[in-house]
Amino acid sequence: MTHTTLSAQNLEHGASASRWTTVLWILWIILIIGGVIGVVQRLMYGHLAAGYGSYVPWGLWIGLYFLGIGISGGSFIIGAVGFILGVPGFSKPSELRMAIVLSIAAMIPAFIGVDLDLGHMERLYRVLTAPTFTSMIAFNAWMYNIFMIVAVVTWLLSFKNGSVWLKPLLVFGAFLSILFPSQSGVFFEAVRINEFWHSPILSVLFLASAISLGAAGLLLARSVYGLRLATASDRNDEYHAVNWLRIILVLGILVYVVFEFAEFSIALWTTGPHSPNVEFLLFGDYWAVFWILHVLLGIVIPLVLFGTSQKGLWALAALLVTVGFAAARMCILVPGQISGQIPGLQQAFQDARLTYSYHPTSMEYLVGFFMVAVGMAIFYVGMRLSAALASRSQQQA
Amino acid sequence: MKKPHEIMDRREFLLAGGLVGAGTVAAAAVIVKDRLPEAPQDPTGDSTVRNLTVLKNVKVQENEDPHVRMQRELVKAMSKPVEKRHWIMVIDIRKCIGCHACTIGCVAENKLPPGVVYRPVTTQEFGEYPNVQIRFLPRPCMQCDNPSCVPVCPVKATWKRPDGVVVIDYDKCIGCRYCLNNCPYGARTSDLGRYHTTGEASGAPAGKDRPVEGAVSQWEHEPNNEYAKRWDRKGHNSPAGNARKCHFCLHRLEVGQLPMCVTTCIGRATNFGDSNDPDSLVVQLITKNNVQTLLPHWRNKPQCYYIV
Repeated sequence: MTHTTLSAQNLEHGASASRWTTVLWILWIILIIGGVIGVVQRLMYGHLAAGYGSYVPWGLWIGLYFLGIGISGGSFIIGAVGFILGVPGFSKPSELRMAIVLSIAAMIPAFIGVDLDLGHMERLYRVLTAPTFTSMIAFNAWMYNIFMIVAVVTWLLSFKNGSVWLKPLLVFGAFLSILFPSQSGVFFEAVRINEFWHSPILSVLFLASAISLGAAGLLLARSVYGLRLATASDRNDEYHAVNWLRIILVLGILVYVVFEFAEFSIALWTTGPHSPNVEFLLFGDYWAVFWILHVLLGIVIPLVLFGTSQKGLWALAALLVTVGFAAARMCILVPGQISGQIPGLQQAFQDARLTYSYHPTSMEYLVGFFMVAVGMAIFYVGMRLSAALASRSQQQA
Repeated sequence: MKKPHEIMDRREFLLAGGLVGAGTVAAAAVIVKDRLPEAPQDPTGDSTVRNLTVLKNVKVQENEDPHVRMQRELVKAMSKPVEKRHWIMVIDIRKCIGCHACTIGCVAENKLPPGVVYRPVTTQEFGEYPNVQIRFLPRPCMQCDNPSCVPVCPVKATWKRPDGVVVIDYDKCIGCRYCLNNCPYGARTSDLGRYHTTGEASGAPAGKDRPVEGAVSQWEHEPNNEYAKRWDRKGHNSPAGNARKCHFCLHRLEVGQLPMCVTTCIGRATNFGDSNDPDSLVVQLITKNNVQTLLPHWRNKPQCYYIV
C-alpha cells in the first residue's frame, strides 16, 4: 500500500504510485475477505475442514509460518548490517525502520498461522510459561519473542539521535536473525527418525532462503511503497540499495540451488532410505510444486528477470522468489511426511486422516490469505507510524 | 560505506559483544538444564502399591490359560511400587490370525473417535501364488525406553513413567503434533475433534427415532477413562485437539485388568507383563524365543517384542 502522504514527485516510482495503491488495496481487500472467511471456518469447525491428519500432521500453515520467519529474519539481517556498515540506501534511520517493520510484519502472521494449526490454540502461552528446551518448538518460540522485543526496541531507538544502544541491539537482533531461520532447519533436522529431514543441509537451505526472502521482501517493499527520495543523492542511494538487494537475492538463490542439488543428487545417485521422498517430490505427486512453482517460477524466471536492467521486472522477480520459496518450504515439509516406516500401516486402519498424502483445502488457502493480509496491514500501519513518529521527532528537534 | 573504525565505537562494540555473549550463555544454560535427568513427574513409592484381590480365591492350575497366568502376574506386579515394575508386551505373530479384535477392543475401551487408532494390525503378503504367506503385525505403542517422541514436546506434556509407559497429559498438550512426526512407528494419532455419528441422519428412515440432522449421538459424549480420569470431548475439550496414543490401558491395570488388546486376543498372540519379574510369562517368552523389535536401528529401545 502506497504511503498516501507522499507526493508522487517524492517517489522514485511516483508515476506508478497511484496505480500500485489501487492494485494493492484491491488485492488486500480480496485477501482479507477470503482470509476472514477461512478463519471463521477454522474457528467454527476446527480442523475438520483441513487436509492434514495424523500421518501427515503438518500442512500449508506450517509452510507459510516458516516462510514468514524467513522473511522476518532476512529483512532484519540485511537492514541491520546495511545500517551498521553504512551501506548507501540502508544507512538512514528510515531505511532501517522499513527493514524492521517488514521483519515484524512477517513474523506476526507466522505466529497466527502456527496458532491456528494447534489443536488447542488457547494453550499456546504454555510454550512460554512451561517450556522444555529439548524441543526446537520451545527454543524457537522463546527466540522469536526475544527477537520481537529487540526489533520493537530498535525501531523505537531509531527515532532517537545518537542512542548508544541502537547498534549493539541491532547486532544482537542480527545474531538472532541468523539463528532463528537456521533453527527453522533444525526444527526438521532434529526429527532424528526421518531420513529426509535429518540432514544438516536444511539449516543452510533455510538460512540462504531467509536472506533471499528478506532481500525479496525489501526489494518489493521499496518498489511498491517507496521511501522519501528528496535529492539526487537519495535517488542514487536508492538505486544502489535495490541493486544490492538484487545481488543478495541472486547469490542467495544460487546458494540454495547448490545445496539443494547436493542433497537430492545423493539420494538419486545411490538409493537410500529417503530416496522415495525425493522421488515423490521430483517425479511423483509433488512434481508440479517442485518443478513449476519452486524451480521455474521461483528460480529460473527470477534469475532471468534480475538479468535485465528494468527495476519493475526486479520487483516482479522478487514477488516470484517469495512464491517460489513458499513452494520450496512445502517441498521440504510434505515429502518428509509422505512415507511411513511400517509397511501397510495406511491400509491397516482406514480413515481419511490416516493417509500418507496431503493437499491443502480451500479453508487452508483462505487462512493463508489471512496471514498475507495481516502481514500487509501490519507493514502499512508500521510504515505510517514510522513516518508520523519521524516527523514528530524532527519537529521536536 | 563506513570505514572499519567508524562502524562502532568501543562502547557499542562491548555492549554488542555482551548481548551476544549473554544470549549465547543463557541459551546454552537452558538447553543443558533441560537435558539433565529430572525427578519423576508421577508419584512413586508406597502410594502406588495396589493390593488387588483379582483371582485371589482361584487356585493356580497347571497349564492354565495364559490370560489367567498374566492376570495373576499383573496382580503381583501391582503389589510393588510403580518404579519396581516395567511393563512390556510380547506379540507372537505366528499366532496372530488378523482378526482385528484387539483393534476394535481398543477403540471400544478408549472410545476412540474417527482417525484415532492405538493398535492397528498391518497385513503383509509375501511370495507369489501359490507360495503365498500372509503375516499380521499388530502395532501398539512401543513404549520405547528411549522415546523419540518425548523430548520434542515443547510443553512437557508427554513423558515416560517409572513403569515404562509413555504417557500424555491431555490437559497440557497443545496439539502441535511434533510428537506425531517424531514417532517412527506412527503410533501417535491426532484427535481432530471428529465424531462417528455426525451425519448419521442422512439416509436414515423417517420417524420419531430418526437422528437429529447433524447432531452427534449421545453415546459419543460418554466420557472415556484413560489414565484413570474422566475425559469428555464435548465442546472440543481434551482429548479432542490432542495427540493420543496407546498407554497399555493404565486405567485397567490399576484395577487388576489386563490391557484390552490382550484380553480380546483370541489367538493368545498378545502377551503382557512385568519384565522385572523373572518368573513372568513375558520374560520366559523373550528369553526362550527369537524375538525382534521393530525398527531397532533408530535406537528407541522399543518395549514391544515380536516372536517371529
